[in-house]
Amino acid sequence: MSALKWLWGYLKEYKAGLIAVVLVTLVFIAGAFIIPIIMGLFVDDVIVNGKKSLMFFYAFLLIGSVIIKEGVHYWRMAKIERISQSVVKAIRNKLYSKLQSLDCSFFDHTRTGDLMSRLTMDTDAIRVVIAGTFVNLLNQILFIVVGIAIICSINLVIGLSLFLVAPFIGFFAFCLAKRIKYDFLAMRESNAELNTVVQENISGNRVVKAYAREEYEIEKFEEKNQKYSDAFMGHVHTWKKYYPSMYFFVKLLSVLFLLSGGYLVMKNIITVGEFTTINGCLWSIQSPMTNIGNIINQFQQFNASSLKIRGLEDEIPDIQNREIKKRDTGINGKICFKNVTFAYDGDRVLKNINFTANPGDTIAIIGPTGSGKSTIINLLARFYDPTCGAVYIDDINVKNIDLSTLRQNVASAMQDVFLFSDTVKDNIAYGAPNATLDDVIRVAKIADAHDFIMKLSDGYDTVIGERGTGLSGGQRQRISLARALLKNPAILILDDTTSALDMETEFSIQENLKEGNKTKIIIAHRISSVRNADLILVLNQGSLVEWGTHDSLMELGGYYKGVFEHQFGDFNNGPKYHIEHPAFADMMNVGGEDNGSK
Amino acid sequence: MAVNKYDQDEELNVRVDFSYFSMLKKYLKPHIPVIIFTVLMMFVSAFCELLPPYFISLVLDKCLPESNFKLFFILVAALAVVAVLVCIIMRVRSVVTNRMAMRIIQDIRSDLFAHMQKLPFSFFDSRPHGKILVRVVNYVNSIANLFANGIIDMITNVFKMFVIIGFMFAMDVKFTLISLAGFPLFAIVLTIIRSRHMKAWRKLSAKQSNLNAYLQESINGMKITQSFAREEKNAEIFDNLCEDNKKFWMKAVYISLGIPMFVSVLSTTTTAAVYVMGVGRIAAGVLQVGTLIAFASYVSRFWEPVTALTTFYNEIVNVGSYIERIFQMLDEPLVVEDLPGAQPLENIKGDVKFENVTFAYERGARNILENVSFEVKSGDRIALVGPTGAGKSTVINLLARFYDIQGGKITIDGNDITHATLNSLRSQMGIMLQDSFLFSGTIMDNIRYSRLDATDEQVIEAAKAVCAHDFIMQFPKGYETEVNEGGTSLSAGQKQLIAFARALLADPAILILDEATSSIDTETEIALQKGLERLLQGRTSFIIAHRLSTIKNSTKIMYIADKNIAESGTHDELITKGGRYYELYMAQYKFLENM
Repeated sequence: MSALKWLWGYLKEYKAGLIAVVLVTLVFIAGAFIIPIIMGLFVDDVIVNGKKSLMFFYAFLLIGSVIIKEGVHYWRMAKIERISQSVVKAIRNKLYSKLQSLDCSFFDHTRTGDLMSRLTMDTDAIRVVIAGTFVNLLNQILFIVVGIAIICSINLVIGLSLFLVAPFIGFFAFCLAKRIKYDFLAMRESNAELNTVVQENISGNRVVKAYAREEYEIEKFEEKNQKYSDAFMGHVHTWKKYYPSMYFFVKLLSVLFLLSGGYLVMKNIITVGEFTTINGCLWSIQSPMTNIGNIINQFQQFNASSLKIRGLEDEIPDIQNREIKKRDTGINGKICFKNVTFAYDGDRVLKNINFTANPGDTIAIIGPTGSGKSTIINLLARFYDPTCGAVYIDDINVKNIDLSTLRQNVASAMQDVFLFSDTVKDNIAYGAPNATLDDVIRVAKIADAHDFIMKLSDGYDTVIGERGTGLSGGQRQRISLARALLKNPAILILDDTTSALDMETEFSIQENLKEGNKTKIIIAHRISSVRNADLILVLNQGSLVEWGTHDSLMELGGYYKGVFEHQFGDFNNGPKYHIEHPAFADMMNVGGEDNGSK
Repeated sequence: MAVNKYDQDEELNVRVDFSYFSMLKKYLKPHIPVIIFTVLMMFVSAFCELLPPYFISLVLDKCLPESNFKLFFILVAALAVVAVLVCIIMRVRSVVTNRMAMRIIQDIRSDLFAHMQKLPFSFFDSRPHGKILVRVVNYVNSIANLFANGIIDMITNVFKMFVIIGFMFAMDVKFTLISLAGFPLFAIVLTIIRSRHMKAWRKLSAKQSNLNAYLQESINGMKITQSFAREEKNAEIFDNLCEDNKKFWMKAVYISLGIPMFVSVLSTTTTAAVYVMGVGRIAAGVLQVGTLIAFASYVSRFWEPVTALTTFYNEIVNVGSYIERIFQMLDEPLVVEDLPGAQPLENIKGDVKFENVTFAYERGARNILENVSFEVKSGDRIALVGPTGAGKSTVINLLARFYDIQGGKITIDGNDITHATLNSLRSQMGIMLQDSFLFSGTIMDNIRYSRLDATDEQVIEAAKAVCAHDFIMQFPKGYETEVNEGGTSLSAGQKQLIAFARALLADPAILILDEATSSIDTETEIALQKGLERLLQGRTSFIIAHRLSTIKNSTKIMYIADKNIAESGTHDELITKGGRYYELYMAQYKFLENM
């Protein structure tokens, strides 16, 4: 029942409309019953008793009633469709906002296909239950009640004889309802699996082709395709088990009526007209009863779906605004990590990290793959909360800064560049939808993206594919950088943003970024990217193993120096050709002096 | 570039018509016996359902005047038998037809999926993935009912309609003609609204597709949205998409609801006409009361299948817009496919030759490469360098024949690759692309993707060669660690290493590494290069990298710029030459100037 209570929360708003629908339904039902009654009167009065003067009166009454009945029906169906659409829209909006409030750990553990199903298939089941089942059920109940009442009022014996089948119908309906719910849940699940396989195949189409794995993909897909089919057939088998039996008892009503009604007519206990009327009413009992199966189907589908929707609605993000101390104000950009430890799925990713950066500083983070570099910035932008310790911005714990304010002021160009299938301009303006084209061009120039954008077919209005497919890795990285810059953040994070760029481009971008007083965090593998930082952090297996400036780290002679020597190794070892080229020799000298001075 | 985004409706170029329905024939064909069997069953069942009014008229006309109780009880017993029969038929039918429907949609989906595997990158690049997904899953699901019930019900209803007309004619010809008078009127009205009706459903399905596309991108790009604090704007866009859905749903529904209403009014009006006509004829003594009542009840029953047919019609119109999109995707042309008579390439040695290759992504578009020629000997290690977007990836995309070239010729071991089967070509190449896409599943499965029959030991060996073994073993479950969709739980560097192991495991004759190590730290890279040295022996390899330390030992370095190879030679040769490669190399040290 709680599913209905939940639905009522959304329907409340449309109480007046719903009441109108119910009232109008009464008119509709009255019309549906008046029509056979008029027909019965027609037979009795005009045909049997020969009152021809009433003939046209009845005929027009008949046509008038049907027009009213159908007009009213159209109105209420349109009304209820509108209500159901509004409810679906409200649910979708609510779910969408919920999704936007949920944190990364939720998305790490939830399949996209599953979420898609909730916002599409499941909300559709809600639509069906409001626009279809609700009105249907209302109709059926009224039809059956009024039909039985009329029959009983004409002849109690016939009426009561019809009740003989009720327990049987009830029994099969109950069994059907109980069992079919599980079938719907199974169907839903297999549909979500199918969704996932197809979606992965679409996203990974390049890899599939690269390894000529089409056959394998088809096999994988066929398994899910079959599974969905099986789940569907499971539901059919449940249906087959109960519904035809139920249907049999509904049909038995005709037999019982013919037996009791026919007998009574032959015994002259009821008139032929009454017999006709009952016959008409019988039809209006039978047809709603055959509909019970559908209603059960739809309702249980709704039940299964509402369970999924409510599950998502009740999801509580770990990252939330609590005890907000800072809101809607600028951020200067001081960053401080105090004893920060972070564990993910039982794995300690960061261990006791401490560092401080002043506004305008450039912090560089370097270290082996998987050492926790990206985790540091994830904690800074509060995509996760630290397990122990705290992260401070401007000396305020990030947990106490309004999330929106925090993220407005911290912009990152991430490792995995995600672009939307939208124009280049709108992608860059993603964080500032009101930005002018001039603003966009300005940051694109800083990110060294302007030139290649202008070479695209429609310049800034070129629509790029999902995830930026169609662009090279370096082009995507530069658009992502421009996107981060346009926000004009107090803290700019570049997470391996320049890895796919050639050195020349990277160098010119670095020069461009020197302007302004942003605090910058740069994660990179290239010494060239981190060399000029005010503070370089070296991470290894989640711990801060070295820190300092380039010079002090070179002196330390640890990991950093090792990386440096590899990247510029043969340069320092004096390869044979440098002497032959004057420019190279000059460079060599600069480097040589540098090394010599330490 | 892209032809479509979330707020653009996919327009179908074809006129609103039923032409796509004819494509269903192929799928229905194997099931014709089942359809015939079911339809025959339904004929029996429909006939049975029509008996009660006839029995009632018999009771009134035959049993009543003569007090014939014997006939009366026979009729009651017969009706009970009929009810049992109807119920049995229903049982059989529900399984038979649903199974058929499932087979059909399974077949359609399989074809769709198999076709999708052959579609070019541009198909996937040019539209939101949600729009493709919705076709393969949701749209195909929604046409199931058409096969499970729609078609058979339609045939049954048409049959019912004719049986009823038959009954009516048998009873009274004149009456029948009068009561059918409403039918032509109905047909005219339906014809008038048809095209509007179809357009409305079509528009709706485009809007649904937009919603899906936006939703999927929103979910996948949620981290970006959150980090840019753009939730409000997105909620607004989503709300607009929902509003569009609502609006067009209502538009379509206004039309759909009107049709059964019209039928009901027609039905009652003609029944009334029959009664009115009946009065005179009973008075004249040519008609019995029972017959009139039975006839009137047939008139209203005649409209029942008609109403059902209009519901079917509504469904056809609705589902028609899905069918159109499904078959439109099946019609999507393959850009690259096996030519007739294509031969498999047996054991590739690895001699690669480009002869005057010219390429543009689309006909008439800007050329990416022009007249590119080079030759590579088996076992050579080739490095491609050059500015971003110059066409380095394009060269390898052409080699793997992801695209066909507009001019020139590409050969491997002297065989033109366009005459080889795609499968034999690509299965002998190990290609590591810029995007290190991982599938959901274990790390083991992901590496094994390139060689499905590889043993666990071989997988681990490949992982060790690319230095991925250590970090993999650090996970509590090691190789059995589940990678989630898109591999979000791994760092970019880790993903690259896994993708790298995947490429190596293929044991390819030609190895292609596109930015394989960009996200990998230097320490790992040093170790990696040692392992690689051994693995690259005896294979032709193409390496794209920005870190020049990775490529210095190549047999040949090609600097791609201005649609062609600007420079080529060994590292030493190019440095000595002092051209663009030299400048690029120097840029690596440029920052030292500032010291």
